[in-house]
Amino acid sequence: MSGARSGGRRPVVAALDDALEVVTDGAVIGIGGAVTAGHPMALVRGIARRGVRDLTVVAPVGGIEVDLLIAAGCVSTVVGAYVGVEVVAAVGPVFRRAVERGSVAVVELDEAHVLLGLRAAAQKLPFLPWRGGVGTSFPQLNPGLVAFDDPVRGEPLLAIPALELDVALVYSEIADEFGNAQPVGTGNMDGLLGAAAEKVVLQVDRIVATEEIRRYPERTLFWRDTAVVRAPFGTHPYSNGWMTADEQHLRDFVRAAKEGEEAVDAYLRRHVLDAEDNDAYLEEVGIRRLTSLLV
Amino acid sequence: MSAAVRPASVDELFAILLARDLRDDDRTIMVGANMPMARAAAMLANMTTHPDARIMIGLGVQSLGGGEAPAVHPFLFDPRTLAAETLMHQSRVFDDMSRPDVFFVGGLQLDQRGNINLFGIPDGDGGWKMRGPGGLALATMSSHCRGYYVVMPRHDARTFVERVSLITALGDAQERRRLKLPGGGIRLVLSPLGVFDFDAAGDMRVRSLHDGVEPDAVREATGFPLAIPDDVPRTVAPTADELRTLRERVDVHGTLAS
Repeated sequence: MSGARSGGRRPVVAALDDALEVVTDGAVIGIGGAVTAGHPMALVRGIARRGVRDLTVVAPVGGIEVDLLIAAGCVSTVVGAYVGVEVVAAVGPVFRRAVERGSVAVVELDEAHVLLGLRAAAQKLPFLPWRGGVGTSFPQLNPGLVAFDDPVRGEPLLAIPALELDVALVYSEIADEFGNAQPVGTGNMDGLLGAAAEKVVLQVDRIVATEEIRRYPERTLFWRDTAVVRAPFGTHPYSNGWMTADEQHLRDFVRAAKEGEEAVDAYLRRHVLDAEDNDAYLEEVGIRRLTSLLV
Repeated sequence: MSAAVRPASVDELFAILLARDLRDDDRTIMVGANMPMARAAAMLANMTTHPDARIMIGLGVQSLGGGEAPAVHPFLFDPRTLAAETLMHQSRVFDDMSRPDVFFVGGLQLDQRGNINLFGIPDGDGGWKMRGPGGLALATMSSHCRGYYVVMPRHDARTFVERVSLITALGDAQERRRLKLPGGGIRLVLSPLGVFDFDAAGDMRVRSLHDGVEPDAVREATGFPLAIPDDVPRTVAPTADELRTLRERVDVHGTLAS
């Protein structure tokens, strides 16, 4: 489905591994989704398989996508407001171990700081001001956050620096072959992640005709440079608008991660490294488990 | 005699105490991640005392006035929360900071002045002795909302400390005034031992102790001198009606029961 049609519009659909070639060693990538919803896990597993190194990962409110990439040795720095599995694990277990060992650095931000940093990057500004975080340890932990007195009313504020991304990995239930995304639900921060990035890789469950997109134009998100990758059920073990998160799978992952590196490596081999593509991963999870998650 | 109502679990007690304390003019009640007891409290209040409020739970915003609550799901961002009046867009929620009246926070550490630490415990050498979950939206929400509740699942000298190692949410009332933070600050602190608030100078004090909790046990479990009145009030226990409503109409899956 690649290559220009004569006089026609060029589709931007790509195979998962081809689309991920834009993620290179040392890149700054943003990963969409929030808490247990809408993370583009098929893309994340693809990056882990490719063995990319030294990534800076911007995860606004992150989950095991961060743990998996750390376990696969891809990450040097994590930027964001949270890494954890909510009620299953208050802190991402691989993330916690790596940070306590000092093998991964953290750039601390409040959730609103992530949003403003992405917005500043999208608006080509060096920073945007914010009040939340004034009087806290944020500027001490993250020297990029600069306290200043605002020039209009003289009130204490923080400058939130722009978060410029090389690549944003985001998810939408639906898109057409030209990169018009229509997420079911809120889209989390994905719109801004894409706007802050040079390139967007968009994971979708379904590729629909543009006529379908035209029925609800108010739902559409698009970015300048997008590759569309089809990966049904690809947010698993996280939810999308049509299925819940797989609590049991998340509990199994957390148990393995807390057990130690051997158990994490076994998980990685079984679910990531030896599963050569999204379909192989889904086979490993099993059709009964997958259909039980549909709402 | 009819069957006795099973006593409240700690999370059920938290949910009922939170719902009871909401103010008449609380109109938008927002709940963050990993706080199922606060989700239940918001729904309970919305169905009983606060029919005009909107509750922001998970991906949806709704009002349950007079109606039935959706179940308390294990995860905050469950897709079933999309069945709502409107959606909680993570990319827009910070565009109207006058809106969330109420928020709820937990913490690794809470100190005498009401400061919360969710970053972790530093090792004093630029690294971490214990890494916490991260800041989430605590700094922003605690700066702006009209009032917030601190829910501490544990109460011991490691969680109730004189000074937190790092500040994720500034609770100290004097500092908040000096820095012109617009929000109203902490309303209450709940722990398995009691209910706490802050005196005029900004130091934590006991408001009530839960049934069966002795003042000495609280002193021992608290890492700073805690003002406890001689005739210490007791937390008003959940009524059979409150528990029934919570269990039969809100927490129908029993998420808070254990």
